[in-house]
Amino acid sequence: MIQRYRASAGIMLAPAVTLIGIFILLPMLLTIWLSFQDWSTQTPFSSASFIGLDNFREIFGPTSVGRDFKGALTNTVIYTALSVILILPLSVAFGLMVYQHDVAGGTALRTVLFSTYMVPMIAVALVWSKLYSPSEGPLNQMLGLFGIGPQPWLSSPRSALISIVFLNVWQQVGYFTVLAIAGLTQISGSLYEAAKLDGASRFEQFRFITLPLMRRTLLFSAVIAIINAVQVFEPVALITQGGPVGSTNVLTYHIRRVGIERAQGGLGSAMAVMLMLSLIVVVCALFALANRKDVE
Amino acid sequence: MSLAWTSKLALAASLAILPATGWAQSVNISYLTHWSPETVALLEAAAKDYAKTNPDVSVTVRAVPFGDLLTTLRSQGGGSDGPTIGGIYDLWLPELARDKLVAPAPDAVANEVKGAWPAGVTSAASVGGKLYGIPNEIDVYALNYNKALFKQAGIAAAPKTWNEFKEAAKKLTNKDAGRQGFGMINSWAAGVVHPFASLLVSNGGELVKDGKPALDSPQTAETFQLYEDLIKSGASVPAMATADANTTGPFLDNFVSGKTGMIIMANWWESALKTGMGDRFADIATAPIPVGPSGDKPHSISYSWMTVVDANAGAAEQKAAWDFLAWLNNPKSGKNGASAMSDILMSMGILPSRISDIEAHKDKLGSEFLSGYVSVLADAKPFPVVPGGQEFSESLQQTLEALQYGQVSAKDAQATAQADATSILERAAK
Repeated sequence: MIQRYRASAGIMLAPAVTLIGIFILLPMLLTIWLSFQDWSTQTPFSSASFIGLDNFREIFGPTSVGRDFKGALTNTVIYTALSVILILPLSVAFGLMVYQHDVAGGTALRTVLFSTYMVPMIAVALVWSKLYSPSEGPLNQMLGLFGIGPQPWLSSPRSALISIVFLNVWQQVGYFTVLAIAGLTQISGSLYEAAKLDGASRFEQFRFITLPLMRRTLLFSAVIAIINAVQVFEPVALITQGGPVGSTNVLTYHIRRVGIERAQGGLGSAMAVMLMLSLIVVVCALFALANRKDVE
Repeated sequence: MSLAWTSKLALAASLAILPATGWAQSVNISYLTHWSPETVALLEAAAKDYAKTNPDVSVTVRAVPFGDLLTTLRSQGGGSDGPTIGGIYDLWLPELARDKLVAPAPDAVANEVKGAWPAGVTSAASVGGKLYGIPNEIDVYALNYNKALFKQAGIAAAPKTWNEFKEAAKKLTNKDAGRQGFGMINSWAAGVVHPFASLLVSNGGELVKDGKPALDSPQTAETFQLYEDLIKSGASVPAMATADANTTGPFLDNFVSGKTGMIIMANWWESALKTGMGDRFADIATAPIPVGPSGDKPHSISYSWMTVVDANAGAAEQKAAWDFLAWLNNPKSGKNGASAMSDILMSMGILPSRISDIEAHKDKLGSEFLSGYVSVLADAKPFPVVPGGQEFSESLQQTLEALQYGQVSAKDAQATAQADATSILERAAK
């Protein structure tokens, strides 16, 4: 009986497992295999030759290859950390504002917030590159009204990456606000009523009811925000081309440059493997932290 | 006549005309370029003219930003559906030929090119003695300066030496007005490296000698030092130097709005200057690159562009592509003995490289702006076309940008540039 049950379960799972194997696992395994090969992306896989850990030594080495990779990895970490740190609190704040039943125009605000997520990146890039223009950009003109001098924004290695982060936060915060609202709807109103009867202030309600009960939503949001941020590509390709001085050269853009423009498939694959490993470690650490809190 | 007989007759007629339709089958070829919409319209018009005598060939033109051109060629050129023709920068050719993405030119085309183009341009379109592309444009760098700003600053003539150049940059700089004396460029490899290389060759140095990097020379040290001096004195402001993926952006905006006194740029940006400046374009003049303390006379860097054919396209598409390119670059396809290609290039202020085209356009090439470029062409040195050239260029770009933003000293920048170039060119040569 159990054997028949297992057989039928296997048959039912087979299509999904096969598709996952072909379209997800196989490319991942191929990338890992290529990371140990010397291979040009313009030649067949059969021309790849095994070179052991040389690609990994190169990307962590002292030459320009290593320096550029480490710079791109650092930029990606900073970009991801800043994006998550800004997006999550803002999405909760906006979510709380929009979720208030007694606030007029809540639905309209929700629509406006989400609309930024629907604007194509090419349009966002065009508009923001002009907003950031050091000489004629509206941002500098507005700062001028408050007596603040013109800022270099995308023209300085100190501020270029942060400027791209702002653009990302502007575009993504609406989507994460919707997620936050979904989390808020899961919290029973009776808890707030009970807290009010016990004399809890608004802040205490937020601190001891809203935040703990939104932990799972925030964990999901954090994971999605991290994955989105790590995959940043379009604003860099469209606006800064990784510059100035490589300050916005993030890993996805750098892998494209190495793997496609320079056709160094082995090196590009080694970089992609490191990116994948970093992402797995961060996401696992996040889940482990959340599970530990649950146990406590 | 019964329905059965009608059907049989129709089938027989269809079979009879089948070979004829086979002969008349059209060939579709595509042309990938980074040109602006206005220039693409001119190319499309030329393709229409070609279709009048070659109705079976259909040419579609596709444009991508310069920053995406190589990636598009590499990612789509491997398949038979990729662009049949691509306009490429000569620096990319050795690696595209090595990876068998571009097809060698047929003998007839190769012989025509060898007879009608200067030898240096033909060699930049060849790898291992085989010609891979039909050269079309040649670009050379010169000093552009704003005559109105020169007059305001009391500078009588364009600087001829580095000392005069530094002095002029200092006089032109006005921090309160947000004006810099000399405009550098960043965030765009050629925009960063070519002006530096032009100053280097005008100081008697070279980027690459006999296939090996030559950035450890005293001439290179002096050129890095010149950059450091310009930055430290405030005569060059790196925040005003940014370029975007379309090779426009603040560096261009600052020059057209009179916030940059001098800049080293190639002739092709004439159309961008005219568009941005309107009547004030008359204020812009061209002069040779100032000569450094170790140089003998003005030199600059030149590079060329060519059209190549996808090696993975079908035989019919490849033949149609070479035929179209041969027509496009032929002196009979344009006006007054010029090729249609040269007419398109001249609309952007780009110098054509075919000898007969230079003759046909001599009136326009004598304009105040372009004649300055034509005059420096004879002493220009081609940018080194070597395997790994693009990576070498991007690496030097990073080092120069680090110097621009004060992250490294001139001495450290030189050491880093030489070490990086050595490792890149050695790896690429393997």
